[in-house]
Amino acid sequence: MTWFDLIALAPVLILVFGATTLLMVGAWHHQSAPLVVGGIAVALAAAIAAGIAPPGPPEIAGMFSCTPYARFFTALWALGTALVLMLSLRYAGERDFAAGEYVSLVLFSAAGMALLSGSTSLIGLFLSLESFTLALYILVSFHRNNDPGAEAGLKYLVLGAVATGFMAFGIALIYAASGTFHLPEALYGLQTGGQLRPWALLGWGLVLVALGFKISLVPFHLWTPDVYQGAPAPVTALLATGSKGAVGAVLVLVLARAPGAWHDLVPLLWLLALATMLVGSLCALPQDNLKRLLAYSSVVHMGYLLIALLPGSADGYSAVVFYLTIYAVASLGAFGVITSLSTGQGEPQLLSRWQGLGYRYPWRGAVLTLCLLSLAGMPLTGGFIGKFVLFHAAIKGGFTGLALVGIVASLVSFAYYLRVVLVLYSSDEPAPALHPGTALEHAVLLVCASAVLLLGIYPAPLLDLTAALIP
Amino acid sequence: MTALPQFPWLSLLIGLPLAGALLCLLQRRSDGECRWLALTTTLGTLAVSLWLFVAFGSGGEGWLLREDAAWIPRFGIRYTLALDGISLLLVMLTAFLHAIAVLVAWPEQRRVPLFMALLLVLESGLMGVFLAVDLVLFYLFWEVMLLPMVFLIGIWGEAGRRRAAIRFFLYTLAGSLAMLLAMIALYLLHGEQTGSYSFALAELARTQLTLTQEYLLFGGFLLAFAIKAPLVPFHTWQPEALSESPAVGALDLTGLLLKTGIYGLIRFALPLFPHAAQACLPLLAALALGGLFYAAWCAYGEDDVKRILAYSSISHLGLVVLGLAAWNATAWQGSIVLMVTHGLTTGALFALVAMLRQRTGTRSLAELGGLWGAAPGLSACFLLFALASLGLPGLANFPGEILVLLGTFRTQPLWALLALPGLVFAAAYLLRLVQGTLWGPAPAGRGAMADLTLREWLILIPLALLTIWLGLHPAPLLTPLAGPVQAALGALP
Repeated sequence: MTWFDLIALAPVLILVFGATTLLMVGAWHHQSAPLVVGGIAVALAAAIAAGIAPPGPPEIAGMFSCTPYARFFTALWALGTALVLMLSLRYAGERDFAAGEYVSLVLFSAAGMALLSGSTSLIGLFLSLESFTLALYILVSFHRNNDPGAEAGLKYLVLGAVATGFMAFGIALIYAASGTFHLPEALYGLQTGGQLRPWALLGWGLVLVALGFKISLVPFHLWTPDVYQGAPAPVTALLATGSKGAVGAVLVLVLARAPGAWHDLVPLLWLLALATMLVGSLCALPQDNLKRLLAYSSVVHMGYLLIALLPGSADGYSAVVFYLTIYAVASLGAFGVITSLSTGQGEPQLLSRWQGLGYRYPWRGAVLTLCLLSLAGMPLTGGFIGKFVLFHAAIKGGFTGLALVGIVASLVSFAYYLRVVLVLYSSDEPAPALHPGTALEHAVLLVCASAVLLLGIYPAPLLDLTAALIP
Repeated sequence: MTALPQFPWLSLLIGLPLAGALLCLLQRRSDGECRWLALTTTLGTLAVSLWLFVAFGSGGEGWLLREDAAWIPRFGIRYTLALDGISLLLVMLTAFLHAIAVLVAWPEQRRVPLFMALLLVLESGLMGVFLAVDLVLFYLFWEVMLLPMVFLIGIWGEAGRRRAAIRFFLYTLAGSLAMLLAMIALYLLHGEQTGSYSFALAELARTQLTLTQEYLLFGGFLLAFAIKAPLVPFHTWQPEALSESPAVGALDLTGLLLKTGIYGLIRFALPLFPHAAQACLPLLAALALGGLFYAAWCAYGEDDVKRILAYSSISHLGLVVLGLAAWNATAWQGSIVLMVTHGLTTGALFALVAMLRQRTGTRSLAELGGLWGAAPGLSACFLLFALASLGLPGLANFPGEILVLLGTFRTQPLWALLALPGLVFAAAYLLRLVQGTLWGPAPAGRGAMADLTLREWLILIPLALLTIWLGLHPAPLLTPLAGPVQAALGALP
């Protein structure tokens, strides 16, 4: 590794060194606010660095890339982390979180996501994936006095460890079959055939299971609702946007670099997409807990992503990247509203507590409405353009059947999202008093809301950018 | 082509209500101010549309006015609005009925700013639907107009509002999503053939399709429009949505939203897939005739005044669709005229039901009656619009109905003969409605009742004048239609 390589990795290094420094400082200074503000500054610096840094060498240490694609996601996850930390400022203070640990873990996980989005070898993939998952294990159960939080943390840890096992075993099989960890070559092993081909296929299947666990594809989704519900709301936001998004990003990277290699796994992915969309939709319908509802809906969204991944076309990949961006913004906004309404006593999770909140807190009601509509795919929000490009890619690639399933799933999704919105504006009972929210939280929500609207009204620049990013 | 300077009149029609809606939400002073703001906005929009009517009411071939700008170049999606005689009439109707709707909503006390804002957004969306000629833009407005309606029903509606709102939304959305799929498929087919990817209506209409492809894609579009119109097997959302919605919602829903289905059929589904459409004409006619009778029959059996009107509107739209299925200029003109006048008369009837409801607290025929003695002004208006609705000569619906029947008789005498008894059915349920509300003894225990107030007269007089005037002199409606209808039929094989 040369200096040049290190400079190319600067955005990630800023995150890592920032996290380490804050961890150290946190050991002596227990005041929460300065540490969180420091974390925000580090994340923003990393985002800026990723935005302005010239493209680095195509590969560093045979594991990570610094292509514009990786830079885009580094900037996105760093920005998202900055927003999550802004949301955490009051939240963490009220709950006496050990701020040094909290902030550094969030930053470490951002670094992991950034690396994962640019992995070029199975080892890099494994390391970065595990590094941010490890941070998330702790973050999920960070609120020590909270039983659901502890349960969520344990569940995530146990199931996550199983997934890690699958991953390691899969990588071993792939290595045995192809003789390399390096990504395009490891995939070409599938194409060339030979006696070891079944082992390679099995290995890839196992890796897929592990990745499917992280982005909660059905049937590996069972942890999702509990973890979403139990984790502190800002952490759920991080989990929903960054952790899922980064895995989505690496899937694109893997597939795009070895066109055609994936062919044998298409039927499997097809079934996964189908099951994910159907089960996710059906489970989301009866939910009375907003966080659980968003958890199941996130399952459905990952199913949509698969629709666009399957055709294996540049259109599809850029659709995935576009969709991931929109999805991240809208989920962040939705969890941001939950966070900013939370008081020291707890988060408003049950829908019954949201009755009429749209009138009592019009601004945050409007943001939540906007974000939910975007998740559902309403025109004039980014979500519509996202769905549009997804379905476009799927039909173009000949996956009309899956596109139809996706259409049905979006139809159902309107039913559950709209139910929340109508509860928000039902005027039967006076709304309960919740936290009025801080200026910083409102600013975060403003960022999310304007991004959702802007991407819905004028998506052309981002569409061009995502198309140009695909390697 | 245009005598006006290149001022974006069409965008103004969409933007003005939207701006009004934003102002309503942002102003914090009083509900009263909000009402005036909404009224001013709708009147301003009406003025713009009247100005367009004066400028272009003489009709003509091709687009009277057109605006075009790049929007999402990567997918060939453009911001293209265009006005021809058909959209001109519907734009007028939208602007007029929304001014009326604000007046109808005047007594609303709950969450006035939000209510008015939603009403204005709805107007904006409807304008967009009637003006867009880029398919994605059309789809966008098509869904955008749904949402305010869902909120109007879901927040201000009656007891079963939330269920009705979601059901309404899901039904229509199911259709629209099928349409979206068909749109994308058509776009891809067109792009593969010509190499230029575009969502412009005029471009896509030139796509060469096999008959199977045409059937499939036409099916997608037809589903969306048949649910919205609604044609009979797809109508089940409509009586519930109408009876649960507040007065303004019902007025808007029947007066305008349902018309978008027919409009979409004329503007998009038929020109894009002429062969499949023509092959489906008998099916369309069968659905139309079935709806005509089935809905009339249901209306006759209903006790709830709002539901009677809901079914009557399904029945009338059956006649409109029959006219389209007859596939000739006379019938098409009749269909479009009937669509417009039906908007006026049914809108007026729903407004009257709201007034009735306010005075008596009920919508049930069994508890109404004897109104003529108590409120003669209201009763006279009710009678006038009911008669107009059943197609009495000299009132607004008559010219449209007669043109539809004449046109249909020319190409499909059997269909016309079958449709005739439908008009008798209409007379039957409407007379039952009039009888049950206006005549007979007043139910015991009903106190004195005020006759129409100034605001209510202001709502009803313009509607009544238009109803009588258009009944006696339908030419202003027919003139702008001649060109586009001829052109549309001429372009179709």
